[in-house]
Parts: sequence; C-alpha cells; structure tokens
Amino acid sequence: MTAVTTDKALSSAPARSRVSGSGGDAAVASVSHVLLVIWSIVVIVPFLWVILSSFKTTKEILANPFSLPAHWQFENYAHAWTDAGIGRYFLNTVIVVACALVIVMLLGAMCAYVLARFQFPGNRAIYYLMLAGLTFPVFLAIVPLFFILRNSGLLNTLPGLILTYVAFALPFTVFFLYSFFKSLPDDVYEAALIDGAGEWRAFFQVMLPMAQPGMASVAIFNFLGLWNQFLLPVALNTDESRYVLTQGMASFASQAGYSVDFGALFAGVVMTVIPVLVIYIIFQRRLEGSVSSGTFR
Amino acid sequence: MATVTYDNASRIYPGSNIAAVDSLNLDVADGEFLVLVGPSGSGKSTALRMLAGLEEVNSGNIFIGERNVTDVPPKDRDIAMVFQNYALYPHMTVAENMGFALRIAGVPKEERNQRVREAAKMLDLEPYLDRKPKALSGGQRQRVAMGRAIVRSPQVFLMDEPLSNLDAKLRVQTRTQIASLTRRLGVTTVYVTHDQTEALTMGDRIAVLKDGVLQQVGTPRELYADPKNVFVAGFIGSPAMNLFTADVTEGGVKFGTAVIPVERDTLGSATQVTIGVRPEDVVVSLTESTGLKVEVDLVEELGADGYLYGHSEVDGKRTDIVARVDGRIHPNAGDTVYITPKTGHVHVFSVETGERLGGAVVD
Repeated sequence: MTAVTTDKALSSAPARSRVSGSGGDAAVASVSHVLLVIWSIVVIVPFLWVILSSFKTTKEILANPFSLPAHWQFENYAHAWTDAGIGRYFLNTVIVVACALVIVMLLGAMCAYVLARFQFPGNRAIYYLMLAGLTFPVFLAIVPLFFILRNSGLLNTLPGLILTYVAFALPFTVFFLYSFFKSLPDDVYEAALIDGAGEWRAFFQVMLPMAQPGMASVAIFNFLGLWNQFLLPVALNTDESRYVLTQGMASFASQAGYSVDFGALFAGVVMTVIPVLVIYIIFQRRLEGSVSSGTFR
Repeated sequence: MATVTYDNASRIYPGSNIAAVDSLNLDVADGEFLVLVGPSGSGKSTALRMLAGLEEVNSGNIFIGERNVTDVPPKDRDIAMVFQNYALYPHMTVAENMGFALRIAGVPKEERNQRVREAAKMLDLEPYLDRKPKALSGGQRQRVAMGRAIVRSPQVFLMDEPLSNLDAKLRVQTRTQIASLTRRLGVTTVYVTHDQTEALTMGDRIAVLKDGVLQQVGTPRELYADPKNVFVAGFIGSPAMNLFTADVTEGGVKFGTAVIPVERDTLGSATQVTIGVRPEDVVVSLTESTGLKVEVDLVEELGADGYLYGHSEVDGKRTDIVARVDGRIHPNAGDTVYITPKTGHVHVFSVETGERLGGAVVD
C-alpha cells in the first residue's frame, strides 16, 4: 500500500514546517526549508503519478509510465467503484471509522478529563494501565481478540470491528488529551461551577469546547490510523461483503494475478486517499486556536 | 443581599500541618465592602475560595445570611466571583459569557437578553456583546468579568485581585468604578488584594491577614491610625511606617537623643519597646538638635511632596528611616538631618509580642 504511507507523510509535512517556522535562527530555518522542499517532492510526485495513472489504461501505464493520458479514462473510477466493489468497501469504512471515531473521542475525552482533573484513589493506576495499553503491540492482541470476538458473536461484523477500533485507539486518545486537559486553566472551570454549572455541564459546555484544538488533533490522528487500519480487519473481518477499503484494495491487487487493471487500481487508491486529505484540510484549520484566549496573559 | 460570617473557619491543605487559614472569625455586614488584605501566602485568597466553595472548610463554619453553606457546593451558594485572570469562557461571546449563569438557572431568553444588555450598558460593553474574549483588551475583559457577576444579582460578590492585571492608570480608574458600582448595587462584597492602597481606598472595612491568622479588622482610618500590632503598622501605609526598637528611660522612650513621654504603667516592666512613626509624622531639621541623627541616602521627589530615605544608628544597628519632606525645599543626599516625631503620632509596641501597648502615647 504505497499510497497509504504516502498520504501519511503528506499530512505530517505541514505540521513540521509550522514548528520550524517559529525558530529564530536563519541558518536552521533555511536548511530545514530545503529539507522540507525535498521531502515534499518525494511525497507529492508519486502521489501525482498515481492520480495521473488513474486516468490511463493499463496498456498506457505499462508502455509510457510518465506520459500524460491519451484519453482521460474516467471509466477507471466507475469500474473501480462498481465492479471492484470499492463503493461498498468505502461505505463499510465510513461506517466503521465514523462510529469508532465518535465513540472513542467521547469516551477518551471523558476518561482523560477525569484522570487529569480529579484526585481519587486508583487514579494513577488507571492512567498507567492506559499507558501500558499504548505500549502493547497490537500483533500480540490479535489472537485473543479473535477468540473474544468469536465468543461474543461479533466476529465478522461491523459492530465488532467498531468495538475493536475503539479499544485500539482509546489509549492514545486518553494519553494525548490527558496532558491537554491538565493544561486547561482551573479558574475557568471554577467560574463555571460558581455560575451554577454541575460537573457534567462544566465538562460539556466549558471544558470540552476549550479542549477543541486538542480534540481536533487527536481526531485527525485517530482518523488516519483507523482509516488506514489493515491488520485488524484482515484478522477479524473476513467476510467479503464487510470488507473495509484497505482490505478491498489488497484483494483487488492480489486477486487479479497477472492481469491487474492498473488504471482501476490507481483510481481505487486515489479514492482511498482523497477522504484523508479532505478531512485533514478541514480539521487542520481548527487546530489553530489558543487554549487560554479567555484568560489574561 | 446577605451578611457573611466566618465562624472559626480553618483550611489545612492536604499534606501540610500548617493551616492556610487558621480559625478565622469575621462578620461582613449586609451591603458592606470588605477587603481582605495581606502579603502573598497570608491565606486571603484561600479565605475567599472557602466562601466560594472552591476550597474545603476543614473545621468551623461559613454562613451566608442565616444559611450555613459550609458543605454547600459552589453552584448552590448564590454568589458571583471575579477572578484575577477573569476566567472568561473563550469559546463564548461577551453576551454568552455574561448570560451563562442565567441560562443555567433557566431564565427565559427574553429576560436574559434584557439583563445582559442592562449590565453591558452599565459597564460600557454594549458594542462588544458579540465579540469573543480574545478580541477584547485587558480592561474590557475585566469589565466582562464584572458584568458576568453583576448580571446574576447574587447575594455576595467575591473578587480575587481583579485589578492586578491592569496597567497602573486603568487600575486607579477601575478601582473607583468597582467601589461605586458595588455600593450602588448594595451587594455585599468580599474583595481580596495584596495592595494596601486598594484596600484603603475601596474598603468600608479592611481585614488584615498574615500566615492565615486574622490580625485586625477595621475601617481604613482605624487601621491607619490605630494599628493593633507591628505587622499591621508596617503593612498599612505607603511608604511603610518607620519601626525600630528603642530603650525605655526615665519618663518615656528614647528617640535618638530626644525622649518621648510615655506613661510608665503602659510600658510595664519592659526595658525596650518597638516604636513606630509614619513618614509624614516626623519633623526634619537640618540644624543640630535633639532627636534621631539620620544620614540622607536619597530624596524622591513626587511633585508636591518628597520622601527622604536615610539611615541611622539605633541600638548599634543600621536602621532605615523614611520621612516625608517638602517637594521643593528639602535636604539632599549626603546631608545629616535630625528627626523628631510629632507629638501624639508615635505608636508603641511590645518587643516580644509585637502587640500595641494600649494608650501608650501621651500628647
């Protein structure tokens, strides 16, 4: 899945340039800019080539890999969407990722908020368990996960996959939001309490909106991770009608053997990557925004 | 409108043996503006937060009106608080910030908007109602924080150093605005500050705290004219009162070569006392006379007045002395002057306890 790694690199490139942009040293800035330009080229050129190739016939791709398409083959997309089943896989992926994302963001935010801002016995223990979950390789969990899902009748179902995704993404979400909620000013929370808000209202109407920049960045990371997830669905979601995009692309490429329809394959790749880019661009704007804009200094 | 009563209220932070607020007893009358003042770490903010319900009360009780609120959560206390950093909700507009409490209380939208507009009018915030806090200046944010408190018409206003983030000029302006506003609204106000000038200018009464212990409560004049102990004497007034130890002699207390008449029975058996004289209560003489001999280090000119900073040998120790002098005609650095206190303006305190020795001063 070259395209998958490609879009990851693409999306992290602007994030890095923001960091180096704040540095004052001109030499460091110019060196890092040169490196970033090189990196951008390395990332963008193959992606452009994929897009270009998605409009060509297989014969054209094999004969002249770098030429412009003779005829813009939009039927590649139609073919990939219907015949290769990308449409169905796309829908499955959207359902699974959207549900998992909503659940994990809600649970993760609530969990991180409580761990970060309330003192109670076992607080540290729970936090360290979450951290342990972050370090635990998912490969080791595959077999037990398979049996757990099979025994609970959730194997090869979308809810089963959603549940697994939530569990998979929760430690990172909690870990990231924990430090974010810790950094939020206490007095705004106290002001909410004095204004008559209970704990729930203080969380949902004051603290959660203030954590929006953090929520947005975690949501992006989670979206990328879950959208590109391959291992978990391959092991736990083997029914072809419930394939997600990554599985669909893999089977598309492998089933055809030597007679791969490269044009349609590249069209499928483009359709897989585009939502990631769109989501990133939308959320990236929300990342900007100060936490402490309401308080002085 | 309500009274506020601290009844032996104490707060001990977890993991500490020392009380941040130690058995505080304090009554605030209905509609009164009370200032809690003290240096940092004196427990003044903790005392306020106990009243707000943001800090647990470990022993004793706190009453708002007749109601014991010691274990009542903040949301049910019917109080409003202005924070040092204003603590505005960054994601809400000015109007939403001010109306948040009313929205929670279930006040209908019409009435809510009307009350927000009234408060905004009072504070000159009307043009900014649709802005977010980050688009406001420091002074405007401060007024929004005030507005948020006013809109609710609570029983008590709590203010935790609300002026400390404003620049000097705005601070003086806002100081008078807040004082007149709260008096006009007639709401009981507890105001915390470390700035004794703020305390003196704003408070109906002032409570001075040190290390969690209440030192003295009284009107600004009482505190200034009649400080109960050395700490209050040194804390209230700017520049601070001159305080030094002096020997007791026949007929009074030694002040340099002069003797201040003090009645023998108030001094008891003490051989030394701490005496205090405010900078404006000394007479400075350039010609050699009786009194305390002072080397002038610096004279600060403030226009009408000047402050003379010098040092003297008292009891074998170098002691810094401040005296108010005329702004135009005054001694210069390097001069030697002789100072004597004006009669009736000498404060005498015990060396051991720091307590004021009652009625010590003879005119």
